[in-house]
Amino acid sequence: MTVASINIPESATASDYPPIPDVDKLTEFFWEGAANHQLLILHCHACDTYIHYPRPICPNCLSMNDLAPVQMSGRGTIYSHTTAVQAFHPYFVDKVPYNLIVVALEEDENIRITSNMVEIANDDIRIGMPVQVTFQEVAPGLSLPLFKLA
Amino acid sequence: MAKRDRVAAIGVGYSNTGRWLGLSRRELAAQAGVAAMNDCGITADQIDGVVLHAGIAGAEPPGLDRIDAIDVGQMLGIKELNYYNADEMGPAYVHAAISAIAAIQSGMAHTVLTMRVINQRLNTRQLSAEMSKPTYVGGDAQFVMPFGSLNGPNNIGALPAQRHMELYGTTEEQFGAHVIAQRAHAALNDEAILRDPLTMDDYLNSRYVSKPMRLLDCDYPVDSASAIIFTTEERARDFKKKPIFVEAAAHSAVEVLGGGFEKIADMNHNSPYHAAKTLWSRTDLKPSDVDCAQLYDGFTIIVFQWLEALGFCGEGESGPFVASGATALGGSLPVNTDGGACNVGRRHGANFCIESVRQLRGNESGARQVKDAKAAVWANAVGPFSGAFLMTAD
Repeated sequence: MTVASINIPESATASDYPPIPDVDKLTEFFWEGAANHQLLILHCHACDTYIHYPRPICPNCLSMNDLAPVQMSGRGTIYSHTTAVQAFHPYFVDKVPYNLIVVALEEDENIRITSNMVEIANDDIRIGMPVQVTFQEVAPGLSLPLFKLA
Repeated sequence: MAKRDRVAAIGVGYSNTGRWLGLSRRELAAQAGVAAMNDCGITADQIDGVVLHAGIAGAEPPGLDRIDAIDVGQMLGIKELNYYNADEMGPAYVHAAISAIAAIQSGMAHTVLTMRVINQRLNTRQLSAEMSKPTYVGGDAQFVMPFGSLNGPNNIGALPAQRHMELYGTTEEQFGAHVIAQRAHAALNDEAILRDPLTMDDYLNSRYVSKPMRLLDCDYPVDSASAIIFTTEERARDFKKKPIFVEAAAHSAVEVLGGGFEKIADMNHNSPYHAAKTLWSRTDLKPSDVDCAQLYDGFTIIVFQWLEALGFCGEGESGPFVASGATALGGSLPVNTDGGACNVGRRHGANFCIESVRQLRGNESGARQVKDAKAAVWANAVGPFSGAFLMTAD
């Protein structure tokens, strides 16, 4: 299934768009949130635990009924980073070199988001940098949570 | 491991190995199985178990069949299987080896053939054709691939390597020192595919795949099958090669619920630490008793992670340890004496078991033989799941 907002044209080729989320009922909220420029993470209200990637159970208290997405501040720090030099998908062939980052979110540093930094030179990225989420539409109806310096 | 329960590796063997051999998965499995049987002079009626790690390393080219443990048993004439298993996830060859020794120790089987068979991914042209339409990705990959994190060099190699560098001061030259030493070992191994010596300039001038990981930090994809036969101590002495005993083994999975290498709480201290702690708790031997180590080298950083996890050096000290020459032949702990998967080709851990057996037999490693080797560690995989073995010669 796809998020209602994602609308890829029939004529599209692999090089037009990055890999597109094929969402399921567990992950739909994340991409709906991104389309609305919100960073949503599944949260267990019974024991105040964040859960990412989404799962149908809280690994801390085993609750299955108290889970709901919550909006995060979008602030965090860079946990690690790399600059991809070789592309492994047609879309990225003319994007290399591009950066990849892993962000530790402010609310829980063990919640990590893989993403890209914008508005910075790849070589200037460092572990520990404070970052802030921003959203960018990369395909019709598909927005990705990206990050910039906070 | 109680001595009465000891399990031994008695036969090892490889298939033909190379890039785009055009051999089917069955042909590769058959070749490796026969090679391991011939190595120890065993017959099919003396084997009663088959375990494969069956997870696919990438998409299969059309026409190459999938394979499973029963299929392999039947091809090799093993008519009565008491135990068989082929898993789809987990730490590659170490999974097969651990399943085999668990089956033998429990009495489910007495002699088990283990195997890892790999066909390469589709080639670039085929991959491009397959990707003519937009790609959709489900599961946990949907949180990674849209951003361009698409493969091991990005997320298993580069991200932990970068963190190791920024936290501990590890340098690209230290990664290079490992790559150069490992290639020097390959130069002494007739079975290695890449054997030309490397200099630090060669390393530093090689292209990045995902900075700081270079092409020379990546293992070398090949079509290959690797087989090792395990049996009980009692039976082990009946075959033509000196038995090599499993002193201890450990399997680990940590943080799998979180999913993915990027999500692990600590990119440089994960399942190998858990596996190593378990391994050393099951033996009286210590890291200082180990004569050589064969450590999974899908990417250079993984070797560094295992050196620290197994206690051969302290946390964050793998860079200086490798640069000191300790891991080269003649050093205090020769590492990857066959040349590693970067040079003998990707075998998902099985080559490290085979090289350990050959080193401990004492007369099969030629110019790369570690003198009087009596104990060897080999390890496989990293991140959410991995495992390690300590093997000894009597």
